[in-house]
Amino acid sequence: MKKKGRGMATIMFGFGYGEGFPDHSIASVEIEKNGKILIRTAAADVGQGVLTVITQIAAEVLKVDPDRFYIIQGDTHLTKNSGSTSATRQTYFTGNAVKEAAEELLAKIYHYASLEFRSNHPQLGVEDGKVFRHDDPENYLTYWQLAEIVEKKGERLYGEASFFPRTYAPDPETGQSERMYVAYTFLTQVAEVEVDTDTGLVEVLKVDSALDLGKAINPQNVEGQLEGGTVQGMGMALMEEQVIREGITLNPDLTGYLVPTALDSPRINSCLVENEDADGPFGAKGVGEPTTIAAAPAIANAIYDAIGVRFYELPITPEKIIRALKEKEKNAL
Amino acid sequence: MTGIVGSNFLKVDARDKVTGRAIYPDDIYFDDLLYVKVKRAPHPHAYLRKLDVSKAEELPGVVKVITATDYPDLNKFGLIIKDQPVLVGIGEKMRYLGDALAIVVAESREIATRALDLIRVEVEELEVISDPLRAMDDDAPAIHEDGNILITHYLDKGDVEKGFAGADIIVEREYRTQHIDQLPLQPEAGVGLYDEESGVIKLWVATQWLHDTQADIAQSLGLPREKVRIIQPAIGGAFGKREDISVHIHLALAAMATGRPVKLTYTREESMITQSKRHPMIIRAKTGATKDGYLTAWQVEVIGDAGAYASSSPAVVHKGMYHCTGPYNVENVRGVSHAVYTNNTYSGAMRGFGTTQMAFAYESQMDILAHELGLDPAQFRLQNAYQVGSLTPNGQVLSRSVNVRETIKKAIEMSDWKGVRVE
Repeated sequence: MKKKGRGMATIMFGFGYGEGFPDHSIASVEIEKNGKILIRTAAADVGQGVLTVITQIAAEVLKVDPDRFYIIQGDTHLTKNSGSTSATRQTYFTGNAVKEAAEELLAKIYHYASLEFRSNHPQLGVEDGKVFRHDDPENYLTYWQLAEIVEKKGERLYGEASFFPRTYAPDPETGQSERMYVAYTFLTQVAEVEVDTDTGLVEVLKVDSALDLGKAINPQNVEGQLEGGTVQGMGMALMEEQVIREGITLNPDLTGYLVPTALDSPRINSCLVENEDADGPFGAKGVGEPTTIAAAPAIANAIYDAIGVRFYELPITPEKIIRALKEKEKNAL
Repeated sequence: MTGIVGSNFLKVDARDKVTGRAIYPDDIYFDDLLYVKVKRAPHPHAYLRKLDVSKAEELPGVVKVITATDYPDLNKFGLIIKDQPVLVGIGEKMRYLGDALAIVVAESREIATRALDLIRVEVEELEVISDPLRAMDDDAPAIHEDGNILITHYLDKGDVEKGFAGADIIVEREYRTQHIDQLPLQPEAGVGLYDEESGVIKLWVATQWLHDTQADIAQSLGLPREKVRIIQPAIGGAFGKREDISVHIHLALAAMATGRPVKLTYTREESMITQSKRHPMIIRAKTGATKDGYLTAWQVEVIGDAGAYASSSPAVVHKGMYHCTGPYNVENVRGVSHAVYTNNTYSGAMRGFGTTQMAFAYESQMDILAHELGLDPAQFRLQNAYQVGSLTPNGQVLSRSVNVRETIKKAIEMSDWKGVRVE
């Protein structure tokens, strides 16, 4: 028989290293002579999209086409420390560092342009990589023309910044700390499942997700994180286990170690709760890790709703479900 | 040119990845490239007594076999605690099946693989500790010199006794989670090249933290940091698994020893056995609530299986504990967490960093309480959830961006959840 159930989980995640551990990111933005703008960062893009996010941020600040940017990253000898791609921190930390570096650069653009235009900041505007006087917008300088002028003075159109917020180490006896993590991301998911009581198989039909993230710099990438994170959490709930007995892995391959595939993936509906109220760039918070956390408990709670059995050990495999249902039947007699 | 933030701007690496132009470490070739394979421990807990590599060295096509004897001054490595050996030496201990005994460098991957089988190893076996509860016994053999409990943390806010005394219902359960592999699509891989003139070792290899990995490699080899240059090719996923050292130091040694470019790519099996796992956790949770559905006290005990080496364990297990109440107001909280060494594949960072396991416990507790109190689980969550001004178990005041109640309300709407009124 197939039984449907529904379960909810709400989670929080404190991001950044926190606990007083030094945590910072350094980035720079520079107008190059070749019509390009160079961003330098050591932030690793492991597929999550940090390089896309910082390109969008710098383009927004400098009011210029994002295709103008190129990035030097991932070389110890050409970049400064950006911290790790972990702890859900890169959008927040490197995002803020790039934003501040771009703002520093923008201030220099205004400064040097004001000398050229014999004017002052309030009379100047920037748009589409050009700086001009509001009263004479046709008589503009492109950022790259300005960079050449500035270079003749022995200067550069360059901004560098770091983002280095403080947290405090917890008290060793009580774990109390005035500021443990820089900020918290929240997520609620409702999972709908169907349990086959003959085979023990669980099908996740649908997951509704509402994510409190401050601001989505790139909504599609956030949805990608939510979908990937949810499916990864599904693996934890239902099938993934590296079985280690007496120190020996019994299933060190993808035949014996099952992961969800596209065919197992449920319909995932995403709602991004955007209040732009966090201290990340444009009010953003990190989303990478939180997106995987709610799925396992939401599915476990949905299985309980479906068959009335509570599981205390993950993964909830078909074998465990069949065994539990038999026991339940026996106890009912 | 505004409105780029908030738009679905195409990922900057998308074109290269879908057209196959993106270069991953295993895609890098040199004409005189050599291939590296690593001889791993044959037993999860044992002293290395004899290591005979002579037959492997005699195999045609084998260029070099490196053991600890060749590099006696290597320092141990590790993210937080430097407890992991680059190569296990004679008389030293292997602590899990991923420990390296020898590095084979050969003209082809096949020859290097064949040479591994020609290496003869003799060990003195010790008791294998696979269960962290056994590791905590007084009579359990110490896996590391300072004992098996790697680190203990405490949490104490308010007065839990008072909190439980004021509860109408108390739910106490034990939860267990499993070893999980982060399973990035691309297994560990890299290419190394040593420039004798400058003394710089170039490594094309992935890491989640470029400069920290550089520093760890350099200290292990006893070199200044600028002598180790890491260049990141495209990274095929990570999820925490690329925080630890994998191929890096072995590649550096092979490059220095041969003076030729070298490549090391793990098999999936090697990746699963050798590199970090999500911590299995035993979580004992006790939660008290009033009959009208408000939480009064929460207590947890957490035991995390760190496996053979520390990796991120000194940060993961208690981060889980610090999240023990989930996003709910609880005045009285107490907790203790232990990270414990075993002879299992070591645990490290994986998406959620200890809080993923904890969420299974706290959200199960919440569900059980709601059902026992006869309350709708969504309503129960909603009325206990944080808002601006709430205090976390660490006593941090949440001063801004606390929209958890809004997420619950949205999820209720989206799923057409019955039985709860949203004002």
